[in-house]
Amino acid sequence: MSLEIRNLNKRYGSLEIFRDFSISFIEGTITCILGPSGCGKTTLLNIIGKIIPYESGTMAGFDGKVISYIFQDPRLLPWKNVRENIEFVLDRSMVPEQRKKITDRFIRLVELEDFARYYPSGLSGGMRQRVSIARAFAYPSDIILMDEPLKGLDLKLKLNLIQTFSHLWQEERRTVIFVTHDVDEALLLGNEIVVFSRAPVKVLTRREIGVPVAEREPGSDHFNNLKSDLIGSLG
Amino acid sequence: MKISFTNKLKYAGLASVIVMLVAWKLLSLYFDSAFILPSPEKTLITTLKLFTDGKFLLTVGSTVLRSLTGFLLSALLGILTGIASGTNPHFDAFLRPVLVVIRSTPVIAIILLALIWLNPGMVPVFIAFLTMFPFICTNVSDGIKSVDNDLVMMARFYRVGNNRIVRELYIPAIMPFIISGASSAMGIGWRAIITGEVLSHPKYGIGTLMHNAQTFLNVDAVIAWTIIAVIISYLFEKAIRWSERKLIKWRASA
Repeated sequence: MSLEIRNLNKRYGSLEIFRDFSISFIEGTITCILGPSGCGKTTLLNIIGKIIPYESGTMAGFDGKVISYIFQDPRLLPWKNVRENIEFVLDRSMVPEQRKKITDRFIRLVELEDFARYYPSGLSGGMRQRVSIARAFAYPSDIILMDEPLKGLDLKLKLNLIQTFSHLWQEERRTVIFVTHDVDEALLLGNEIVVFSRAPVKVLTRREIGVPVAEREPGSDHFNNLKSDLIGSLG
Repeated sequence: MKISFTNKLKYAGLASVIVMLVAWKLLSLYFDSAFILPSPEKTLITTLKLFTDGKFLLTVGSTVLRSLTGFLLSALLGILTGIASGTNPHFDAFLRPVLVVIRSTPVIAIILLALIWLNPGMVPVFIAFLTMFPFICTNVSDGIKSVDNDLVMMARFYRVGNNRIVRELYIPAIMPFIISGASSAMGIGWRAIITGEVLSHPKYGIGTLMHNAQTFLNVDAVIAWTIIAVIISYLFEKAIRWSERKLIKWRASA
């Protein structure tokens, strides 16, 4: 199964972002969208998330899909602790015990058991982003949209969060659409890498990466070749 | 280290109280007249006597009740109008001149008018309401405007219902603003109430007795009532700080 966007048209005033743009996403994989800043990557996520309207186009396979989000900033409620922040997005039709069970499971998976009662102000930046990842997985979504969640973090923290994320993803293989302008992030996390051009957006390259996340080695020849290839196509 | 530092601050505060008492004592010795400035010890005895007076609780209770009534009225209306003006720029622009007029009108002018319009017991309540309302309204409105839109977007992305967005996002976000508004409102309102009582002479009230004492040149009683008013104001402030710690405990781990 795949999710298809066909002949999408979207403009902001005179700026044409998408003109007859088509793309497909394979369900159950991580697709990384790589492209220059301001090319319309976030716009695409917002269209998929039904946050902003578009002029025309068809979206196939998205109907009835539940979506969760990981933003660039963790967007945690300062007055709720880790547990309450995750529980906040869970549907109230669930009984409290079930909500607690789900919350506990994901707190464990992102290794924040000892911090479950901490408020965001008491957590490091990386921990806060882990809560935001746990929240996205705890929410019973089919698709996870990620908008540059690693931007501005140092390399060590990035690797750490990528590991956390792929650990969760191994548990539950959801469709992930991950937007970034950082080639390394795309190479470390993506199963599919799609390179976008400047607006109006065209797909410049599309690559599949077969190597499992855990076995990817930054600095290896294979990695470096792919990297220079992608940087080349970014222009 | 930290403890000794707070202790030092406490000593400084204590020293300040002692200096004020010594100055008071010296001035009372200089004037040497209970009609101008009674000594601290005489005033203390008068204050203690007030506590044992049969009507003490009724007097203090009436004034406190008036201030709480005024406070609740202004909190209720202030929160409602604050929410409206924080969410609707038109209402905000409409309300602004009203608040400016209320805020810049001298309290005494409001009291004089209230004396004509209302019965004596209601005058202080009305004064309290009018002096407190702008603080609470403005603070709530500022609080609403300060709510992080990214958080609201997040909640909407996750399809959290409007009801819960208000209860679990907006209300906690504006709580610190409500509390700081309440604190300023009480500080100003309490003084305005006693002024109102002095002029409107309700049957029971701190201001009424303060004025009676002044009429008969019982300066010690005037000061004793003042001390009681200060203590009550301090207790109000303590209660607000206590509720702040209870309601905004998430800030403590910052």
